[in-house]
Amino acid sequence: MHGPDISWYVVLAALLFATGALGVMLRRNPLIILLSVEIMLNSANLLLIAFARLHGQADGQIFAISVMAVAASEVVVGLGLIVAMGRRHVELDVDKLRTLRG
Amino acid sequence: MANFLVWVVWCVAAFACLASALAVVSFSNPFYSALSLIGNLASLAVLFLLLSGEFVAAGQVLVYGGAVMVMFLFVIAYLGDRTDESPWSGGPSWQIVGAVLAGGAILAEVCVVVGLKAAGFLSSPHHVTRSFGSPEAIGRLFLTDHLIAFEVTSIVLLVAAVGGVVLGSHARRIEGDART
Amino acid sequence: MKIAAWICLLLPLASALAITLAGTGISRRVAAYVSTLTTIGSFAAAAVAFVEMLGKHGGQRAGVTTSWTWLSAGPYHFGLSLLVDQLSIVMMLIVAGVGGLIVAYSVGYMDGENEERRYFAYISLFVFSMLLLVEGGNLLLLLAGWGMVGLSSYLLIGFHQDRPPAVAAAKKAFVMNAFGDATMALALFLLIAHTGHLDYASVFASSPTGGTVANLIALGLLGGALAKSAQIPLHTWLPDAMEGPTPVSALIHAATMVTAGVYLIVRTHPLFEFAPKVADLAAGLGAATLVMAGLIALVQTDIKRVIAYSTMSQIGYMFVGAAAGAYPNGMFHLMTHAFFKALLFLAAGIIIHALTGEQDIRRMGGLGKAMPHTRRAFLVGSLALVGIPPFAGFFSKDSIIAATLDRGAFGYCLFAACLAGAFLTGLYTFRLYFVVFGGEQSEFAKEHLHKPQGKLEGPLSMVWTVTALTGLSAVGGFLQFGRVWHPLTTWLDPVAQPFVDASNAKEAIASICAVVLGAAGIYLAHAVYAAKTIKVPKPVTLLEKKFYWDELYDALLYKPAELISQGLGRLVEQPLIAGSIGELTRGFRLGAGGLGRAQNGLVRSYALAVASGVAILAVVFLSTR
Repeated sequence: MHGPDISWYVVLAALLFATGALGVMLRRNPLIILLSVEIMLNSANLLLIAFARLHGQADGQIFAISVMAVAASEVVVGLGLIVAMGRRHVELDVDKLRTLRG
Repeated sequence: MANFLVWVVWCVAAFACLASALAVVSFSNPFYSALSLIGNLASLAVLFLLLSGEFVAAGQVLVYGGAVMVMFLFVIAYLGDRTDESPWSGGPSWQIVGAVLAGGAILAEVCVVVGLKAAGFLSSPHHVTRSFGSPEAIGRLFLTDHLIAFEVTSIVLLVAAVGGVVLGSHARRIEGDART
Repeated sequence: MKIAAWICLLLPLASALAITLAGTGISRRVAAYVSTLTTIGSFAAAAVAFVEMLGKHGGQRAGVTTSWTWLSAGPYHFGLSLLVDQLSIVMMLIVAGVGGLIVAYSVGYMDGENEERRYFAYISLFVFSMLLLVEGGNLLLLLAGWGMVGLSSYLLIGFHQDRPPAVAAAKKAFVMNAFGDATMALALFLLIAHTGHLDYASVFASSPTGGTVANLIALGLLGGALAKSAQIPLHTWLPDAMEGPTPVSALIHAATMVTAGVYLIVRTHPLFEFAPKVADLAAGLGAATLVMAGLIALVQTDIKRVIAYSTMSQIGYMFVGAAAGAYPNGMFHLMTHAFFKALLFLAAGIIIHALTGEQDIRRMGGLGKAMPHTRRAFLVGSLALVGIPPFAGFFSKDSIIAATLDRGAFGYCLFAACLAGAFLTGLYTFRLYFVVFGGEQSEFAKEHLHKPQGKLEGPLSMVWTVTALTGLSAVGGFLQFGRVWHPLTTWLDPVAQPFVDASNAKEAIASICAVVLGAAGIYLAHAVYAAKTIKVPKPVTLLEKKFYWDELYDALLYKPAELISQGLGRLVEQPLIAGSIGELTRGFRLGAGGLGRAQNGLVRSYALAVASGVAILAVVFLSTR
């Protein structure tokens, strides 16, 4: 294949994943957290596609399409929750939602 | 020459990908974060194209960029422009340090793991035909080898749709009660 | 004979168990009668065994009966076996006979006590233990009986549990006896190591005949004998043991338990013959105790304590006899001593009972007119104790004194001590007699003398038993008289052959000296306390403090132990043990508190935990592949 070989894609996907993880752990706005989760899912997708190309099997792409569908469903539910929170005038700050405190 | 072009496109796309990802987690205005994610998705689509995943690239742009991100932008617009003054603060004192360490550890591990385990495979890419990644190939695979995945995914989407409707109607009913 | 031996042993045990299990289901009277009848039944069984034995020839009189193997450990086997031979039948008759009389006496003495059933259960237990001791066919059973009589003694001395002096005295007795038990156990260990057996025949045949080991074995056995018989240096518990009821003092601390030491020496005499130095030590300690106890008895003011010191002194005589090699003489004195000492105690008990519990002789006086029968009984007992013919003590004590003349230079020292003891015995015994029974009635006696209706001076059971013992003290001595008439020596010959044999001349000299000195003591006591021609001397502090033995042991043993235990409590128990528990809980609380802070309710922290977990697990899985 032309261009960079697989290891470049691996590193790129790892960086994307780490960035998404940092976003999940360090932001307080639930919307941003959802966006960071999307980044993580996309990094996995990238890796799937890359390895599918490496092995010449399109199964990886099938997997990636399924991941996309699931991500879309998860965003629907998540955003529905956030809208419900907004309607109840609950403050959009995950640090304020502490009833799980032990 | 073709190789060089590919390299250039790859570098630009990769850079854009990383930069937009960082922008997503850094902006305090959620609107800007969402827009940055759209950029991330676009660059990823370019990378998919480089990897002979035409159908997936198209699907990425259409589904992710066209539907999911539009939904995001709608919600952000609906909820108002809540700009965090200090997006990184809050939480216990060890949160930032711990997060950086954990993220760095996962990063290192992924690289190392994949490097160690896939060492043999990584150096010899397969030769693919032109129909690799075409809609016809994807469709054939979906409807023969991975039929169950296809059906289950559709059920997941159905569930999500129902969930969305329920979440939305619930809010409306509360509003109705509150008004009376 | 074997069956009779088993019945003799087990009847008191059955009585003890029955009284214990019946609890308050039976009345106190019934418990008393059960105990008395079983003890008398034991005596009957012993008498049957005795008669059977008489019918056999000398060598065949001994019989060992084993019911089953009690302890089997490797090459060592110890059976639950009883030995009925000439020596043990003598002891059985004494224990069951005098014991029966005393238990009958306590029916009247303990009448009205709240805890009467407990008393009779313990007394039966004691009789069983003592019989086990004398009937045991091996040293292990002897040790078992030894320990159990110590236990019974503890239970009975501390019978009045609500009185702190009684409880303290019980503990003192038990601890000192435990010391003796320990030395005896060590001796048994040595015997097992060197002979592999503990039954008498094998032990005597195969134990080392001299040298350090033999000395150690004899020393260990002597330690036990000293503790049980209250000789120097383990004697301080006996006077305090008078806190128990009077029948207990009579039975345990006069007639039977304290003579167990003498029995031990006679029974294991081959072992002592193999260690002559230890035997000499025993005789020396006996002589020293003899004199010391006699001196202390001169200043005691409690009636029971005078008799207790007298017991200590008389057992000194028995030790001298047994350790010097005159075994039958020692046993003879054991027998007669059981009679007259029990008599003295029981008569004292009648007085105490009549005076509703008063034991101080300074508050008694002139009781002779009010209680003539008791006075006569006490007189007979006292004369027997001093050794005036024809009463029992004369024959037995003089035979011991005569035996000492046969032992060379050391024997002459013992002889001198015995004669000094004879003088002292006369002095303190008749001091007691004249103070209690002579003179005018004291104020206290006039107020408190309580005679029941009728002619008897006390309850019937107390009176007839005292009368029986009076008779025995009067005639019991006729069993043996020097070399002229010695059936006891002949009887015991197969088992315990004496190796001293005083000639007639020595017997005569010893008798005359002892009687003269005893009479001199009586005369002096009469002069001081009855006729009052000589003024009563002030008591010497040394004697009043009982030669400072208690203070010595207190400083030597109790105070250091107290210091050590307090020190350990402060330095080890508090910080380490109690503190460690506190520190442990504190540590747990800290840890839990720290871990609790991880559950702060923030979703982000939980996400961080998940990410960290993934990172760590990835490393783990990688490294284990």
